[in-house]
Amino acid sequence: MLKKISVKLISFFLFLTASNPVWAEASGEKVEKAVHALPSPYMVIPFVVILLMIATGPLFYHRFWERHYPKISILLGLIPVIYYIAVLKNTHILMHTLAEYISFIALLGSLFVASGGILININHRSTPLVNVILLLFGAVLSNIIGTTGASMVLIRPYIKLNRHRIHPYHVIFFIFLISNIGGALTPIGDPPLFLGFLKGIDFFWFLEHNWFIWLPTVLLVLAVFYAFDVRNMPKDEPLREYDSTIEFKGGKNIVYLVVILISVFLDPAVFSWVPSLAPLPFGIREIIMFGVIYLSYKNADKEILKANEFDFEPIREVAYLFVGIFATMIPALQLIAYEAHTYGNELNAGVFYWATGALSGFLDNTPTFVNFLSAAMGKWGLDVTIPAQVHQFQVLDPLYLRAISIGAVFFGAMTYIGNGPNFMVKSITERSGIKMPSFFTYLIKYAIPILIPIFTIVWLVFFFGRG
Amino acid sequence: MATIKEILGNGAYGLYFGNRVLLPFRCHVLKVIFENEIITDFSSSQKGACYKIQKDFTELYFHEVDDLEEVVSEYKGIKMVVVQEGNDIFDFNNHEKLNILLDENHKLKIEKVEDDILFFE
Repeated sequence: MLKKISVKLISFFLFLTASNPVWAEASGEKVEKAVHALPSPYMVIPFVVILLMIATGPLFYHRFWERHYPKISILLGLIPVIYYIAVLKNTHILMHTLAEYISFIALLGSLFVASGGILININHRSTPLVNVILLLFGAVLSNIIGTTGASMVLIRPYIKLNRHRIHPYHVIFFIFLISNIGGALTPIGDPPLFLGFLKGIDFFWFLEHNWFIWLPTVLLVLAVFYAFDVRNMPKDEPLREYDSTIEFKGGKNIVYLVVILISVFLDPAVFSWVPSLAPLPFGIREIIMFGVIYLSYKNADKEILKANEFDFEPIREVAYLFVGIFATMIPALQLIAYEAHTYGNELNAGVFYWATGALSGFLDNTPTFVNFLSAAMGKWGLDVTIPAQVHQFQVLDPLYLRAISIGAVFFGAMTYIGNGPNFMVKSITERSGIKMPSFFTYLIKYAIPILIPIFTIVWLVFFFGRG
Repeated sequence: MATIKEILGNGAYGLYFGNRVLLPFRCHVLKVIFENEIITDFSSSQKGACYKIQKDFTELYFHEVDDLEEVVSEYKGIKMVVVQEGNDIFDFNNHEKLNILLDENHKLKIEKVEDDILFFE
């Protein structure tokens, strides 16, 4: 069985990376259209380069990377942009991608800034059960304010709660649950799902189709955490007094978060009464979100920002890197969709689950999700860049969409680079003076032994032999 | 020569130039958190950071940046654990947790780390 899966995985990776310049050899109306519209396979190179640099830069040449990533990202992004304008004469797809990028950054930026103005202090004894409750609460919250927002709001109170017995595993399970797995139920939860929503998937699709995988997975990870935490509970803990209160500062930012949440739905495609600002590449939703960024930062309590050591750098980094990712991803998406239409019948849902997951763990999970969505849709001859066809796909093939969305979100927890908040949580923890495991220690000592068995159970129960 | 406690009490400033920090007291530095790096090795003159106690001040050099302004922001400073020179370094009560922030004209704001800010020694 493993051999069969390996062969399918290899063949899938081969067609994902294949250079097949012989477009004209194929026949049929769709292919004739492709002769004019499809980009050269060489145009995938900037996408591969940027993903590899994002994965290796912070680890192996971080000073160079920190100084030059904005220029690298923009330059790589310009290659396909110029190609589409000058060679393919296709500006429509560029404008569409620009609109998606603005929506994406508006949501992430507004959640980041609004949650940065909230400070929570939990004055309670740290016990395994209290930690489990907090992690479960965070997993749910990550669907409401995003894995980034929930991680920002909860990591400090969580570390403070455990300050007398904090271990790296506390933070690692936080990354597993709140920064990743928790956010599989709504488009706000995790960036890949939001991009799916922008491309045409219904807002509540993920909740409706993923909850019965999400719940047992979260409970399994919590059970493992509980076993760890009970074993590491000090036997002769000095007596300390706790008043069991939760102090909450920055309440007005909750209003901002609610405004962001409501504005997600302010899309002409969702409600016809929402005015469209076309041909501008943004709408009312994005204006509100950028307004929230400005107001929540301007009116934030400076003491809270200081306590949270608030800094725009993480969101600046996301904004720059995703300029490059969104632009370089365009040719990759088109080519994958085309290839998947040819090879798609050989691939089942399990292959999509593992393939999306394996790449999401090491590359950014947002482009990975969109590429595999594009591949799965290509099986049906559908195009990921057309919202009506994405909507059609969610009805046509929920199993594949479930496999891709679960794979992209869950496996983001496999490494520090799998999802944006992972590195942010690591940084906040290290800024508090706690040394975190290295990239490989995290992977080998925690992610592989804990998550892979759980993800294998998920595969066996929900995807094995299906599709 | 002012002590750390006096400096914290009267709100006196330190200085910074490029990657060099001047603290207006004499102290031993035990741990520094700079950007997201925990620095406890001050022996190298090329990697991480090093410090020197001078006659009237203590100076730190951060080797991996040219200018602190590139990496230290309004709310995200440099955190450090220091001990006043002459005090017992092995007595944890003498360990001071400081947060230093950049101000205008090369001035360095020196503050005690408040309870709200996470900082484990």
